[in-house]
Amino acid sequence: MQSNLPILLFLVPFLASMVGAIVGWYVRHAARRIALVAMAATAGISILALFRVLEIGSLHTHMAGWPPPIGIEVLLDPLSAFIAATIAVVGLIVVAGAVEHSGAELPRRKVVYYPSILLLMSGLMGITITGDLFNLFVQIEVASLAAYGLVAAGGRGAPRAALNYLIIGSLGASLYLMGVGFIYAATGTLNMAQVATLLAEADQRLVLVGGLLMVGGLATKMGLFPFHVWMPAAYSRAPTAAAAFMAPLVTKVSAYALIRVLFWVFAGGALLVDDLLLEVVAWAGAAAVVLGSVLAFMQTDLRRLLAYSSVGQMGVVALGAGLANATAMTGAIMHIANDALMKGALFLAAGMALIRFGVRNVDELARLRGQAPWTMAVVVVAGLSLIGIPPLSGFFGKWYVLSGAIEEARWAFVVALAVGSLAAVGYVFRILEPLFFRPPDTGPLAREGNWALVVACVLLATLMIVLGVGNERLVTVFIMPALPGLVP
Amino acid sequence: MTGGLPAILVAVAVATPFLAGILILVTGTRGTEVWGHIAAAITAAAALLLAPTVMAGETVELLVVPLVPGLDLLLRVDGLGLVFGLLASLLWIVTGVYSGGYAAATALANRRRYFAAFAASIGAAMGVAFAGNLLTFFLFYEALTLATYPLVVHTESDEAFNAGRRYLLFSLGGGLALLTAMIWAWQLTGTLDFVPGGFLDQVAGTTLVVLFVLFVSGVAVKSAVMPLHAWLPAAMVAPTPVSALLHAVAVVKAGVFAMMRVLGFVFGPVSLAEFAGPEVLAALAAITIVIGSLIAVRQDNLKRRLAYSTVVHLSYIVLGAALVAPFGTVGSTLHMVNHGLAKITLFFCAGAIYATTKRQNVSELTGLGHRMPWTFTAFTIGSLGLIGVPGMSGFISKFFLARGAIQAGDMVALTVMLGASLLTATYLLPIVRVAFFPGTKALGGRGGRRLRARRREARPALLVPLLITALLVVVFGLVPPAFGVQYELAADIAVRIFGGGQ
Repeated sequence: MQSNLPILLFLVPFLASMVGAIVGWYVRHAARRIALVAMAATAGISILALFRVLEIGSLHTHMAGWPPPIGIEVLLDPLSAFIAATIAVVGLIVVAGAVEHSGAELPRRKVVYYPSILLLMSGLMGITITGDLFNLFVQIEVASLAAYGLVAAGGRGAPRAALNYLIIGSLGASLYLMGVGFIYAATGTLNMAQVATLLAEADQRLVLVGGLLMVGGLATKMGLFPFHVWMPAAYSRAPTAAAAFMAPLVTKVSAYALIRVLFWVFAGGALLVDDLLLEVVAWAGAAAVVLGSVLAFMQTDLRRLLAYSSVGQMGVVALGAGLANATAMTGAIMHIANDALMKGALFLAAGMALIRFGVRNVDELARLRGQAPWTMAVVVVAGLSLIGIPPLSGFFGKWYVLSGAIEEARWAFVVALAVGSLAAVGYVFRILEPLFFRPPDTGPLAREGNWALVVACVLLATLMIVLGVGNERLVTVFIMPALPGLVP
Repeated sequence: MTGGLPAILVAVAVATPFLAGILILVTGTRGTEVWGHIAAAITAAAALLLAPTVMAGETVELLVVPLVPGLDLLLRVDGLGLVFGLLASLLWIVTGVYSGGYAAATALANRRRYFAAFAASIGAAMGVAFAGNLLTFFLFYEALTLATYPLVVHTESDEAFNAGRRYLLFSLGGGLALLTAMIWAWQLTGTLDFVPGGFLDQVAGTTLVVLFVLFVSGVAVKSAVMPLHAWLPAAMVAPTPVSALLHAVAVVKAGVFAMMRVLGFVFGPVSLAEFAGPEVLAALAAITIVIGSLIAVRQDNLKRRLAYSTVVHLSYIVLGAALVAPFGTVGSTLHMVNHGLAKITLFFCAGAIYATTKRQNVSELTGLGHRMPWTFTAFTIGSLGLIGVPGMSGFISKFFLARGAIQAGDMVALTVMLGASLLTATYLLPIVRVAFFPGTKALGGRGGRRLRARRREARPALLVPLLITALLVVVFGLVPPAFGVQYELAADIAVRIFGGGQ
């Protein structure tokens, strides 16, 4: 069904970013207010759109009225609507919660910070809703440019981390673009749906090379092992407000893009290609689950630890996607939302710990002990969800991916998930041990973060509980319709 | 039976301890124990009120919420669950009183955290007891691990942290094996509901064997079967009331309870007859009994000695269940209760001794029976109960365990059981002897008079609970109605599992 609703998801943050940048120069605090209003509007629209999609089916917009293959198609199906709603809601909560962070760390740069966040948001939304392979590249670049800038705004070591991120990120984007070129050569179109129908007749050599390049590019963006190397430095050096926004969202949207390309573009094509691609993704995911979690366990820097944890959690998503049965896919899609919630809460908390208590390393978390009860409680919930303790939402993501692996009798993947979970126990308790049981190295420094942060953290933790306890509804109402039709 | 008052009672029994935990955290700086006492009373009352319905042969069900399509968070109370639930909730009342006394006597720090975690642990144990399917069971089993972790590391020493890490690694690792087994079983059979006699009858061959290994290694951690026992002695670094209720009753009994659930309600005698799994498990349990006893004899630290004794007696229960014989199951069920009563008494005594005299090694207890006669009388009763002297509750359960071994025709198991009772005597009775009869040298002359003159019993809050549990050891061994009820429940469970064949 034709509708203009999808494109609003991109346009609202995009235009607000422009307006905020201009108005912000002249009016103090305007940038922040515009950003919060725009984020709230985007979240509202995304929820509205999600329920409309579930009610009446997919919504399409042909940009400027041109139908594909000439025009760009914007598409909200149950999957993109679910991801868009997740991203928009978590984004809103995080930006609202990180007001104090940005105020403390970027006192005179708020004017740039908020428009950059909005630009990043518009890019993420664009990635989610686009139905066009080349437009996907453009949106990735929009999001990435904003992200590079946000990382570079951080303190010591940030420019270097941003440069790293820029180089590796651009490499990923170029890989993807080259892949798109091959696919265009093979099929003569860039519209995802059309490519999918034409792939079977296309030159399989071109399709194979194109597919591998595209998967490689997207894997870089989602921080999939072994392309994760930009992530720990970027997220630990970025300003905490920016990290709290990027860590839960950027890699998650890229993971979605990978699923979109794998199952809506390639899985309709030749069996050889999609089997090979899926196999590569699954093994990379398994490696990420193990190594990401083990590396997380070995970190001393709190935010590096969290970033490596994301590498592991994205591995779970990739593994679920690579297994490609309905059960594992359910887990993969669910875990995108899970990690967004968990990392949102944890990076917000980590930012608060840095700004108010000067905590950089995990061991220093003892300073929060007894001083920040709400944050501590939220960290417990998010941490246990990361380990996969029922009935928190993180458990169910692992449950479905593990189920999918057992269904296929892929025991190596079962072992990988188990090892990853045990390593997660290790790194989560490295956080919880000082937070609750170790004596602090100095006297009380400060109190809990401001009410906005507390509310944001508590909201995210509540969502983890709600999505866990109500998981049956989450699966039947939101995720099952979003599964690609071709898997049984 | 679903709905109605019994279902509400089930919800109350499981939810009350968790609510108490939250209340303790949120409210008071003072009187933190009061919430615990109230919750303990409510929980135990709910469990007791459920007893008549369950003993009439009905099961009470409460569907909480669907978690996965086709798989619910489901509470269901049957005989076995009731036994464990009653044990945990009733002993929580006494331990609550004891904890208060112990905290006062040893100036325990961080009491809010301590009592909140304690309450949550009991809630998790109640959930384990009343879980209606494997997923619900798993949920509370993991919750139990996490709720007891703060208690293990309570002293915040390096030793405590090492013990805590080991505990987490073992327990959550076992949890992963259990999770895998559970998902696989679900895919094979489409159900995870506990059924007396098992639900895996469609599964055969290698798959069954691998499932058995996964399931058993998952639950063998908490039931401390060697070589997965190492966390338990290490966890003795926790305050003594924790060792008493959790590491002698709630946590480890959740382990053996899980073992009985897995063997009787997931696999069932028919499936277990198809392969050698139960024999291997029985052999492991027998080895644990022997080696554990030998290690216990060599421990000087009283709590560690008791911990190894726990390892041994848990394996008695596992062995009884692994015999796959009706009387073995009866014996296991009874020993779950009777070992709990005896061992909590012994730990209470150890704690009372430590809180009063700061002594924690066996070698320091010489003549102490004259200073703390009541405590050591209770210790003697607990020891005799554990050894299985006729007239004590332990005798009855060991009697049925032995009968189970005869029924299964397993003479090795019989020998191990009887022999290990002697070993139990060798590591417990010397303590009694040196405490009461330190020899003429120590008692004679001025020293002996001083010993008697400084008679200083433990404070009442410590003494009363341990006397109550000691009394229970005798009551369940001597008073026919008491052990009659116990036996009826246990026999009913065995009948259900083995399908009428006594």
